[in-house]
Amino acid sequence: MVQRGTSEAKVLLSTVSSDSHSWNLVYFTMLLTEHGYGVDCLGTCVPDELLLRAARAQRPDVIVISTINGHGSLDGARLVRKLRADPRTADIPAVIGGKLGIDGADESGVRRLREAGFTAVYHEVPPSVLLDELPGIIESGRRGLAAAQLLDDGASEGAELVGVPR
Amino acid sequence: MSGPDLHDYVRRAEAAGELVVQPRMGMASPRRMSAGLRAVAAALARTVGTITLDSYTRVGDQAGARAALAKGWDINGFPIVVHGVELTSRVAASVGGAIPVQVRHGSADPRAIFAHCAPAGLLASEGGPVSYCLPYGRTPLTESVAAWREASARFAQDCRAEGGRAHLETFGGCLMGQLCPPSLLVALSVLEALFFVQHGLRSVSLSLTQQNNEDQDIEALAALRTLAAELLPADVDWHVVLYAYMGMYPATEAGALRMLDAGARLAVLGGAQRLIVKTVAEAHRIPTVAENIQALERAARTAAAVPRRALPSGESEVLIEARALVEATLGLSTDIGTALISAFAAGLLDVPYCVHQDNQGRTQAGIDASGRLRWTRTGNLPLPRPRTRHRQVTAAELLTLLRFGRDHCDQTCDQTCDQIGDQTGVPPWRVAVVGSGPRGIAVLERVVARLAEAPACRPVELYLIDAVEVGAGRIWRTDQPGWFLMNTVAGEVTMFSGPADDGGARAGAGPTLAQWWQADDPHCPGPNGYAPRSVYGRYLRFVTGTLARCLPEGVTLHQLRATVIGLTGNGHTRTLRLADGTELVAEAVVLATGHPVTELADDQRPLAEFATGRTDLRYLRGDSASDIPLTELSPDWTVGILGLGLSYYDVITALTVGRGGEFTEVDGELRYRPCGREPRLVAGSRSGVPMLARGDNQKAPGFRYRPALFTHDRIGALRARGRLDFDRDVAPWLLAEVRLVYYGTELRARFGADAEELFRTEASTASGVPDIERLARRFGVGDLPPLRLDALARPFSGRCFAGRAEFDAALCALLRADIAEARRGNVAGPLKAALDTIRDTRAVLRRAIDFAGLTPASHRHDFLARFVPIASALSAGPPRLRVRQTLALIESGVLRLIGPDARFTVDRQANRFRVSSARVAGASVPLDAVVDARVPVPDVRRDPAPLTRALYTRGRWCSYVNRGAGERFDTGGVAVTPDSFHPINAAGNPDPAVFVLGIPTEHTRWFTQVGSGRPGPWGEFTQDADTIAAAVLAGVESRAELEVSRR
Repeated sequence: MVQRGTSEAKVLLSTVSSDSHSWNLVYFTMLLTEHGYGVDCLGTCVPDELLLRAARAQRPDVIVISTINGHGSLDGARLVRKLRADPRTADIPAVIGGKLGIDGADESGVRRLREAGFTAVYHEVPPSVLLDELPGIIESGRRGLAAAQLLDDGASEGAELVGVPR
Repeated sequence: MSGPDLHDYVRRAEAAGELVVQPRMGMASPRRMSAGLRAVAAALARTVGTITLDSYTRVGDQAGARAALAKGWDINGFPIVVHGVELTSRVAASVGGAIPVQVRHGSADPRAIFAHCAPAGLLASEGGPVSYCLPYGRTPLTESVAAWREASARFAQDCRAEGGRAHLETFGGCLMGQLCPPSLLVALSVLEALFFVQHGLRSVSLSLTQQNNEDQDIEALAALRTLAAELLPADVDWHVVLYAYMGMYPATEAGALRMLDAGARLAVLGGAQRLIVKTVAEAHRIPTVAENIQALERAARTAAAVPRRALPSGESEVLIEARALVEATLGLSTDIGTALISAFAAGLLDVPYCVHQDNQGRTQAGIDASGRLRWTRTGNLPLPRPRTRHRQVTAAELLTLLRFGRDHCDQTCDQTCDQIGDQTGVPPWRVAVVGSGPRGIAVLERVVARLAEAPACRPVELYLIDAVEVGAGRIWRTDQPGWFLMNTVAGEVTMFSGPADDGGARAGAGPTLAQWWQADDPHCPGPNGYAPRSVYGRYLRFVTGTLARCLPEGVTLHQLRATVIGLTGNGHTRTLRLADGTELVAEAVVLATGHPVTELADDQRPLAEFATGRTDLRYLRGDSASDIPLTELSPDWTVGILGLGLSYYDVITALTVGRGGEFTEVDGELRYRPCGREPRLVAGSRSGVPMLARGDNQKAPGFRYRPALFTHDRIGALRARGRLDFDRDVAPWLLAEVRLVYYGTELRARFGADAEELFRTEASTASGVPDIERLARRFGVGDLPPLRLDALARPFSGRCFAGRAEFDAALCALLRADIAEARRGNVAGPLKAALDTIRDTRAVLRRAIDFAGLTPASHRHDFLARFVPIASALSAGPPRLRVRQTLALIESGVLRLIGPDARFTVDRQANRFRVSSARVAGASVPLDAVVDARVPVPDVRRDPAPLTRALYTRGRWCSYVNRGAGERFDTGGVAVTPDSFHPINAAGNPDPAVFVLGIPTEHTRWFTQVGSGRPGPWGEFTQDADTIAAAVLAGVESRAELEVSRR
């Protein structure tokens, strides 16, 4: 279990390509830093390619997408599909949170994001929930990663059975 | 055509002593955008219209905008580039030049946007090379400055070419929205104005945002005016625009209004000529048009009431700092763009909390106890009093700072409560709600929500009374069998007036039926499933229980199972008499008594009398199916079912599944396996066809259909001209809308969403009722079978059948075709999508009908007698499964449908009932029992319930009479006032302490049998409940109001 506050975990913090809001990013940078995470914030309006590049280069323990402009469920789903399609980033846990749809709570948007490949979706949920769950998400990501590497060495069969947490 | 010059318009308003008010408003759909602009133009205020662009267009991602539109997803603004000049100019022209319209966007590179503005007649926009770069994206400042240079110069030229004058407003007075000390905002607003002027603009406005301290904000506005007057050339026209608070917005209605009021007041006191408003919805979602209009009108009213006084001037700390910042920047280069780039590189301009790579990020700001913004770190800013030593703020502190303004406004009510203190000794305000079905609970929910928002200054006692099951009501009682289903999918049902949030279920926020059901039951079929009525009853109990648990301090809720038999009293209180003899006194009484069991009608009485006193015959009268004593029907009987509507489905389900029979799926076909305890069933009605299925639901819970032709505006305008004739004035528009969806759905399937949009746009431009079928031929979908509502509802009209076999074959073929159509869905299937439109536009239809919108004859004959049966047969149908079950029952031989024009008669010779159809040869069957599967039509004159009888006979309730030139239609609905639903007594006076809601008022209003609210923006169900809640509590002074009145 990764302990809160003592983690050396690296967080890649970003938002979706159409989202220009930055207070959430400023806040999460402070919050996660204060809780012992190493945070790299990519800023606002992050093109998908920039995030993918950063994820490949940095291999963060978790990608946190914070978005509040209402396009999160559209742009986020597209982004995470790209992330999952690339074998170099497919196993990195990724979470998304904020205001994800235009008309407030939107069940189908949340479902779409989960199905597209986010490990967890936080629709209008307080940040404390993310703080509580992040160590577990990172830990299971690391275990999934280790299992995948093990299988790569020997039997690649059944890799999908072990799976990467989604 | 371009509207009035924005600056001249503002100056004219100023000369007339009026503050110009303007919303933020942007919709993806041109139709909705036009409607929004028209509403702004029609608002009771001096307004400027706004077209806010979407996030995709803002970052230049036209493909993203196009893709989202093609998939039918809503996006957060108007995609001006994708829509193009021609469509945009039509939208711009929709206000007819009555008001200026400004394009608001947020783009660091506005070249493509501006290129589409002037040619479309839109000569005003806003932004700035710094203010739309640093806070809003990752474009390098050098690129943004270059793009803005080119865009501003071209915009100025383009507007001249259109014969007008370009206007640009700086966004520099806002930047990050909050936590930026005003001196930097003033400096940047002035610098951006100078930038615009340097690139050819001769009409500009300088913005500043409202912050947390009125004195400081007034100083800032004064500094802005002083510097603008000093630095802008004499031939440049300029004015000042104030943005209502741009930070984290108050979450409560009271708090949001307080903030807006403060903004309007600040605009006047600080000498701003224009105000961009915010709405009560701001903290929660993108506001609706109506919410924007309310905000505009409120701001205008508030501003008008502020006493004018001389504007302040002179040196202030803000002015001294701002002047230092501007001068240091201008000293770097004669080219303002270059100066700005250099100033940021050197940290002479440095925005606190801004994450952009070209911002040094060495400054920090805080808020002092009075709400003034203060620099806590000045970095390299050339300020007279540098500060460098303050520690870094923490995340928690940042949140407190960001929430400062919001919390200040939201909590003001609480504070005044504390100051007022003790409430003991004040008599309670008592509210009784009679009937605890959905209508009663909805009122209760809004009453509690309102009390939580604005705490009362005296104790409030609430009474919820029901004769059958408190918290659920008779129709939805929780002990009924699980085979009786609701007729609305679970995802479209909620009894909370707002969505669930992280604060736990409470009045104003809680789960929809689907959300609750899913959490409660692992077998729940999801939001598109139909819940058993007993499950909905349990949900209603959950809602009531939630309200009981979350009552604000000083509020109590008493739940009484009791039958109310009388209501008396005048003056300030009313007395309810209960069946057990006790009396209950209340200041306000809400009567939501629901479905009545009325006296039998003339055609029912002979059937009932024939069976009276006999054990071998039964006539079971119509009622809620779970209250019909179906167990009295013997398995060896032949039972007739009168009516083929929704109750019919309930009755046959109870007599088959309810007796132990089973439906099984065999090769995709449904088969019925009888259990032997079901009677033989023979059903019939006038049409001979059971109510057809609703299309499988494909609409999201928050879906709202936005009509293009049959609109609120149109019907409102028609009603304003006088009484309507349904067939002449209303039906053609409704039918056109239905056909629009019919062909539009097919167009979308064949040619894509753009084709449908174009089709709809074109249809809505016609001046009269458009000929949709002709338009459909032009668009290439004229090959669909024509859509005729009467033919669909009466498919066997005029047909005769040679015998039972021929009729059964025709009927089964029809049912199979209907099942196939229903499977295509209510969005993808043209037919069911079209018919769903009738359901989706009920609110518009109500607007035409309610409170004597129609002439008496048209109301009675065209509407109630002819249209309503057709409309309900086609649009109120059951889930597809029910039609499949009917088909399986016919095939199994358990059920027979007799044929069109069914007659249920008394056969005295055979001593039996008899059902027959003259249109099917040989169709005549003797019956042992008749079940009347028609829900009684509400009629206050024929309702024997003791309370109704007492109210009607004593003249407290009257039947609503639709009167017209020489004709009258006595409707049988309880007469109520249109605004607060007070019953009108025999003398014609409303009872201000009593409210009547729902089914008793049917015919005064139309389609009151709605049994739930919907998620998303409030519909009439919730709005009506809230209207009553507000009126019920009108006598309870809120603590905030009391505070004001004591000042």
